[in-house]
Parts: sequence; C-alpha cells; structure tokens
Amino acid sequence: MISKMARIEIIGLKENLQDTVRELHELGTMQIDDIRTLTNVYMQPINLPYEMVQVREKVELVNAKINGLEDLFKKYFVTPPTDIADTSSFTLIDSKVEQVTTTVQQLTQQKTNLQDELISLSKYREILKVMVPLLPDSARKSGNATIGALLHTTQTRSMNMLINQLRAMTQGKFEMVTVKIGESTNALIGVLPRDLVVSVENYLEREKITQLVLPDEYTMLSSSEAQDKIEKKIENDHKELDAIDDRFRELASIWGPYLHSWQINCLNIMDEFEIYSRIGETEHTFTIYGWIKSDEFDSLSQLLHEKVSVDIMVNFLEIPTELREKVPVVLENPKIIKPFENLTKMRAIPAYFDIDPSKLIAIFMPIFFGMMLGDIGYGAILLVLTFFLSKKVTKGIFADLIKTVFYGSIWAIIFGFLFGEFLGTLGGAIGLKPILLDRSDPDSTMTLLYMTIGVGVFHIVLGLLIGLGNAIKHHDKTHILERGGMLLGLAGLLLLVGKLLHIVPDGFTTPSYILLVGGIGLLGASYGKTGVILGPIEFVGLLGNILSYLRIAALGLASVFLARVANEMVGMIGNVVVGILVAVLIHSLNLVMGAFSPTIQSLRLQYVEFFRRFYEGGSNAFMPFKKRALVQE
Amino acid sequence: MEQGIIALAAALAIGLSAIATGIAQRGIGSAGVGAIAEKPELLGSVIILVAIPETLVILGFAVAAIILMG
Repeated sequence: MISKMARIEIIGLKENLQDTVRELHELGTMQIDDIRTLTNVYMQPINLPYEMVQVREKVELVNAKINGLEDLFKKYFVTPPTDIADTSSFTLIDSKVEQVTTTVQQLTQQKTNLQDELISLSKYREILKVMVPLLPDSARKSGNATIGALLHTTQTRSMNMLINQLRAMTQGKFEMVTVKIGESTNALIGVLPRDLVVSVENYLEREKITQLVLPDEYTMLSSSEAQDKIEKKIENDHKELDAIDDRFRELASIWGPYLHSWQINCLNIMDEFEIYSRIGETEHTFTIYGWIKSDEFDSLSQLLHEKVSVDIMVNFLEIPTELREKVPVVLENPKIIKPFENLTKMRAIPAYFDIDPSKLIAIFMPIFFGMMLGDIGYGAILLVLTFFLSKKVTKGIFADLIKTVFYGSIWAIIFGFLFGEFLGTLGGAIGLKPILLDRSDPDSTMTLLYMTIGVGVFHIVLGLLIGLGNAIKHHDKTHILERGGMLLGLAGLLLLVGKLLHIVPDGFTTPSYILLVGGIGLLGASYGKTGVILGPIEFVGLLGNILSYLRIAALGLASVFLARVANEMVGMIGNVVVGILVAVLIHSLNLVMGAFSPTIQSLRLQYVEFFRRFYEGGSNAFMPFKKRALVQE
Repeated sequence: MEQGIIALAAALAIGLSAIATGIAQRGIGSAGVGAIAEKPELLGSVIILVAIPETLVILGFAVAAIILMG
C-alpha cells in the first residue's frame, strides 16, 4: 500500500534554525527538498557562517582519520568486530580518535623503519653470502677489515691497475678475490689491516670507483663478523615487527568495535551541515520545504512548537503540478508481503498515484510457481529447503527470492495433488489420482494449454481493469482509451473464439466484430495519428502477452517428463542400485531447475505481461532526514 | 512416414525458435551482466530484457503442440 504523503513548509526565525534542524534530524520523519531545485521559490540557500564551516571541516577530518583506522584495523581483526554504540559527544570522540591515531602513527613509523632496514640488510646479506665463502682466511682474523669495489666487466685493465695500486699502498698486506655479481659487474673484495681502511677508501673515492659499502656499524668488522651481526639484526627486526603487529592487533580489538559508531556520529553531523544548503533564507527567517507522511504531520508540528519555539510555522501545502511526478513514495505492507514489495521495487518504485502491485504479486507469483512445478515431492523438498535457507539468508534479493520459492512450494504441493504428481509419475504408484488433469498424459496436453491461456486472459484482464480504474480515477484520457480499447477488443475476440468452439450462440457474431473493431479503434485513438498502425500492432502484442502464459504449461511439461525419465531409468538400466543413483541425479537436476526456472518465469509474467497493463513506476523512494543507526544491523 | 514428418515439423518449430531465443539472449545477457556490474539496481530491468525473447520459444512450443495434437 502506498502511504498518503503531505507537502509541508516550515518557516521560522533564523535564531531557531539550528534547533529546528536538530529536532527534525532527531525525529527523522521529514524528507527535505533542496530549495535550489524548486521552481517558483525565490529564496537563496543558507550560507554557513565561518565558524560552522570550520566545525564541518574538523568533522570531515576526524571522519577521514576513522576511515584510515578502519582500513588499517581490517587487517588485524581475527573476526569482524561486534559494533558497540558509542553515544559520546563529538569532542570526546575526536580526542579518542586523536589518541588512537597518534599511537598508530608512531607504530606505523617504527614498522616502516624496520621494514626499510630489513630490505637493506637482506641485500647486504645476499652480497655477503656470495663473498664470505670466497674470502681468504685472513678476513676472519680480528684486526683485519674488508673493503669492496665494483667494476664493469669490460674494465679488466683498470682492475689490474687497481690491484697493483692497493698492494703498493698496503705494502703487500693485501689479499683479495674477485667475484662476478650479475651480468656485467665484477666485485673486488680485499682484506687488509683495519688501520689502512680509511686511506684505501679515500683512494677509491678519489678514483671514482664504486664501493660496496656496508652501514657504519659493519664497516669496521670483518665480512664474516658482519654477516653474523646482520643475521642477528634481521632476526631481531622480525621479532620487533611481530611485536608491533601484536600491538596493532591489540589496538584493533580495543577500538575496532567503536569505529563504526564514531563514523556514524561524524556522518550524522555532516548530514546536518549538508541539509543547511537545502534550506532557504531571507534576512531574518528560514524556510524548509519537504514531504512527510500525512499521519505524522501533527506530531512534527507539536514537537517543533514544544522543543524549538511556538513561533515556528508548519503549514500544509497543495502538491504543485510540477511535483506530482516527484512525490516520494513509502510502501507499507504486512511482513508477509515484504519480499514481494522488494520485487516490485526491483522493477521500479511505484509512482505516487499508481496502485502498489506488491499484494497482487504476492498472490499470483506463488500460484504461477506452483502451477509450473505442480509436484508434491518437489514441493515438499523445496518447502523444507527454503524454510531452513530463509533462516540463514535474511537480507537482500536472495532472501526475497527464497521466501518467494517458499510460498510457491506450498502451491506446488497443492497443484501436485490436483495433477496427481509425486516426483513426477510416482504419484500413481502410491495411489495418488489426478483431480484436475494428468500432465504426463498426452491427451491432457491441450487441456493444459487451454487452462494456461485462460489463466493468462484472467491475469491480463485483471491488470487492464486495475489500469482502467486508475486511469478513470485520475482522468487520464489516453490510458482510458488504451486500456478500455484493449478490454473491448479482447472481449470481442473471446466471443468470436467462443462462437468457433460453439460455446457462444451465433447471435453474438455481429456484436463480437463490433467489439473487436471498436476496441482496436479506441486503442489506436490513444496513440493519436499513428494509431492506425500502432493500434492493431499493440492488440497483436496483447495476444502475444496472453500466449506468453503458455510457459506455465511448457515448464510444467518439461518438469514432469524429466521426472518420468528419471523414474523409468531405474528399470531400464538393469542394475537397480545404479538405476536409483541415476534417477536421484536426474531428480536433483529437475529440482534445481524447478526452483530457478519457475521463479524467473513467474516473475517475468508479473513484470512484462501483468505490470504493463497498469503500472507506470519510476518514482523516488521517501528519504527522510534522519539519524543513521549507530550499530550495523 | 506421415508421423515422422509431423514429428520433424514439431521438432523444427520448437528447435528453431529455441535457437533464435538463444541467439537473442546471448547478446542481451552479456550486455545485461555488464550493466548490472556497473549499476546493480538494474537487475529488475535486465531480468525482463533477458526473459523477453523467451516468448519466441514459447510460441514455438505452442506451434509444436498444435502440430502434434492437432
């Protein structure tokens, strides 16, 4: 059902603006229109004073920090946290966020430093790993140090000169090895007395020879000592990183549950700032335009007078013509109808002056599903499965579809009795007799087809009658002609079919033709000048829509014959065990298809065939200015 | 012989219309999935668009049934 909406305006003195906005936000029953989008309203939107802009920026900054914390903590949650609602003031939240952010920044800096150090140490370790096995024994002696130089592989001559020069500088106390590193680099590793290191390094620097430089703390050590020290350092760094991660985990477990409610607190404040730009102002007053459910008008008016000021004026307004298509819509249906309401919304939210088709879908969709599946066994299995699934999946489109299948399964059991089907053709074996018709009997096929066409005629005529009634109510001439023409034409055609089947007396022939031609004529008239062509085309389209209901029979036949194949397999294969296994497999396949296809097809019959006759849709959902929930549902 | 031709005619009626439906749904389905990826709220419209060509195979089924039963 579509709730009755009222358009209202709230006028007050500017000194009461903040209180008014706060109370409206708290009450959460009014959708506020943006003054900038309204025609015939000549007011400028409110300009926030500098102090308020500063507060907004502060809130945005805190919100950004919370988002950052959320992203970081996600990695450290062992299980997603259960939200805790924190109703503290913004100032308190800000100080808590600041405290956590500072700790996090310090830890992050420490972590980054350690990670950078580990990268460098790993590189040194790799180089030393290559070097150490090649080093002469003298490198391991205390008092000796190691130096390294890098030269291109083409610089063989330079390397020889360098070796000679170093030998001369150290008076022969120099041992060295060369090793190839990578594709084109030779490393020269020399061992020399520690007191000569500085002069040799100066020489290399003067000659612009690239040195293999270890951090200061390792330079005065021999290579093997350096390697040992690096190994220890790497181990310690990993331990420190683990400790930092533990600290992050601890922070995430302490503060993680509060992040959502802090974020929502910020968003609620930001929402209030955003709403100011939708409000109009004059020198001394403000005006708010918007929508509210009619039955909530009195409570809103009373609340503003009590909590803000008696000077606040809350007025009912006529819905302006230009806003008739934009009235926000609230659908209110019983819980049992809700899944079908969501299916309606999935197609389009009904327009305010439409009929809410949720109840009609709730009636016809499960019936069509049941007619297609029509099997006690499959129906019972699906009923049990969807009952348990609906406990697990409680939100979203899948939850709605599961509930749809649940109700459809009840109808499948009912039609199962009418068709005498239990897992296809096993009904007869357990003494079940078809009450209406036997779908597996070829002689009943035409009856089944006529029955589904009859269902189609009924469903579409119902849609047309609803559409016609609505068009008459709103004096919509085009739709009166269109839907009335279709109904008359269809009546004429049905009479002619009745005459062909000798159900209708011959005297009805002329009135049938008059109704048919007249109906198509009216239908064409609704399209204006192009109606001569479009009228007949649309009428043929209407017949196509009726024939589309044959899918109910088609899917039903496919299901029953697949089940029959499964049952006959048991006897045909020869081995009873294998036969039963194959039969179970085919029945399972049929069951899965029986859950999906009828759901989609019955939904399609509502969307395409039924809705087209009366439903416009395309309105906007009612979005009241209200506080967001502090805890996720 | 006559029965064979009747069966063949029915098979062609449903088979060809099923192929036509498949070809139509191939294009609509792939475009529809792309659209849903961008805008999940289009699911309802996409279901309708994908289901529309199925009328072809339903009409093929009706013709096949008439051929066989008629």
